[in-house]
Amino acid sequence: MITTDRWTGLFFILFSLYVCFESWRLGVGSFFRPGAGFFPFYSSALLGVLSLILGFLTCRGKAEKADPWTDLGNTVTVSLALLGFALLLTWLGFVVTTFLFSIFLLRAVERRGWLLAAGAAFFISAAFYVVFGLWLRAQLPAGILGR
Amino acid sequence: MAAFDGIIQGFAVVLTIKGLAFCFIGVLLGTLVGVLPGIGPAAAISLLLPTTFRTDPASSMIMLAGLYYGVMYGGSTTSILVNIPGEAASVVTCFDGYQMARQGRAGPALGIAALGSFFAGTVGVIGLMFLAPLLASFALLFGAPEYFSLMVMSMTLVTYLSRGSQLKALMMAALGLILGSIGLDAVTAKPRFTYDILVLRDGIGIVPVVMGLFGITEILLNVGATMDREILKSKITHLLPTRKDWQDSAMPIARGSLLGFFLGVLPGLGPVIATFLSYGMEKRLSKHPEKFGTGAIEGVAGPEACNNAVASGNFVPMLSLGIPANAVMAMLLGALAIYGIQPGPLLIKEHPQIFWGLIASMYVGNVMLLILNLPLIPLWVQVLKIPYGILYPVILLFCLIGSYSLNNNIGDVIIMWFFGVFGFLMKKFQFEPAPLVLALVLGPMLEDNLRQSLIISQGNFSIFISRPLSVAFLVVSASALLFPLLSLRPRLRETTE
Repeated sequence: MITTDRWTGLFFILFSLYVCFESWRLGVGSFFRPGAGFFPFYSSALLGVLSLILGFLTCRGKAEKADPWTDLGNTVTVSLALLGFALLLTWLGFVVTTFLFSIFLLRAVERRGWLLAAGAAFFISAAFYVVFGLWLRAQLPAGILGR
Repeated sequence: MAAFDGIIQGFAVVLTIKGLAFCFIGVLLGTLVGVLPGIGPAAAISLLLPTTFRTDPASSMIMLAGLYYGVMYGGSTTSILVNIPGEAASVVTCFDGYQMARQGRAGPALGIAALGSFFAGTVGVIGLMFLAPLLASFALLFGAPEYFSLMVMSMTLVTYLSRGSQLKALMMAALGLILGSIGLDAVTAKPRFTYDILVLRDGIGIVPVVMGLFGITEILLNVGATMDREILKSKITHLLPTRKDWQDSAMPIARGSLLGFFLGVLPGLGPVIATFLSYGMEKRLSKHPEKFGTGAIEGVAGPEACNNAVASGNFVPMLSLGIPANAVMAMLLGALAIYGIQPGPLLIKEHPQIFWGLIASMYVGNVMLLILNLPLIPLWVQVLKIPYGILYPVILLFCLIGSYSLNNNIGDVIIMWFFGVFGFLMKKFQFEPAPLVLALVLGPMLEDNLRQSLIISQGNFSIFISRPLSVAFLVVSASALLFPLLSLRPRLRETTE
């Protein structure tokens, strides 16, 4: 057990209560005739009970200190870049989004020089387009280049 | 005799230009994935999956399976040369493999790892060939209650054997069951937790979830960490082990092969724990246990054989019962589901070309790996020199394209991203993702069989304890839950550490 377990336990208790409520609305039914909410209701009840035990054990027992979260900046940057890729892909198209995604990671996270980052990003986006777009014929969005 | 007829049919599938090409690509990519730290077999299979949609299911399975057991071969290279396991199943190989490399014996360490893996892989395939059809014919006797209890057993075993807290593993399994219920209800066709989002109507796909939890999470964890890769600079010579090396390694390889195969057959057991058990067993049986950790070749031979045998054993419950033993098998199950094929007792009868083609391809793949692995070691060393800063954007792009290509839908990319971030947080809070993935895959089947059983018994739960097989599965499940309370689990874990 670690000290943060009381908070994760609390989070999962709240989550399970929400799922129980939603499952109830779907209709739990009976043991003889289980409804659409039957399985998620009992699964979330199980999660709730287990989360309660986790919270109880953490509060009562000796919980170890959680490891410190180091270098979170890069993790947040990469996850935002991924989300950005997903949101821009249809509009900008595969080639442009891949180029921007690669150059952003190489510049903002890896701190490479502009020339190297641009060169590598160009090579990566071209290679991916050739392999997936031309060779494997994946239906990649053309975006602004296709208009 | 049926097995021999079947295997001949299987060789007819694999010994074609197409079959051989897919097998070769699978094992080659598997070795590459095994060599590269930070990307495991589950993520790699999920990346490769969308590229297989245009081919037939037999070729697709041959390639994906080749990737899985290829990873086991490749993983040893980084463990021995860099002291960084390419994937979790090769952690144990670092203990003595890297020490051997430091003493100038990298060649024999790599050689015995490859040859031991080949032997174990072959033993495992023979076991699979005979055991899977036997188990499948036995499973034809199963009804809904037996299937329900078997799946419960599978999930409890995963939580019992997972790293860290079993309580947290059970929580992840419960969460997986909830996530598995998203989508249209199979009986009433009522949408459950879909919130009018189109991509959720068919349920959460296993592929974007696995890509997120195993691919994206690994990168988010590693991008903040520094990877110290000190690659051995001395030239690797004498790959073939000496007579003394063979004498020391023969029995560990044989024991590792048998242990690995039988542990691999158990639902819920992946190669990681099996390799630790093999290492512990070899150390206990050795006349010189003090040499372990200082470069004992037995410490490389046993676990390396073991992880390959586990890989073959894992296919038994997946092919014969339709129950995935771990996250990788869950991916392969998902791959078959995309083609509308349901693994289970009827697979051998209805799709013999897939079943026997897969088994035959494993014989061929193991030979390919043996031929490939040793001469290609200098190439793998060069691959290891690629800076991680260049490598991870490429891996991320594979994940992004892979998830998008599933349905040409941004929704799958967002699901992958969500589970990547969620997996990162869960790792930080010391929750393991494997029980979640298994429960997500088994959840719909579990619900289906539970409902059927309750309808048959008119709501009476005694149906699960009135059938002998179902009782047996439930007793194992109960034991897996009760052992930790009796402090039996910590003792098991101590022996593996």
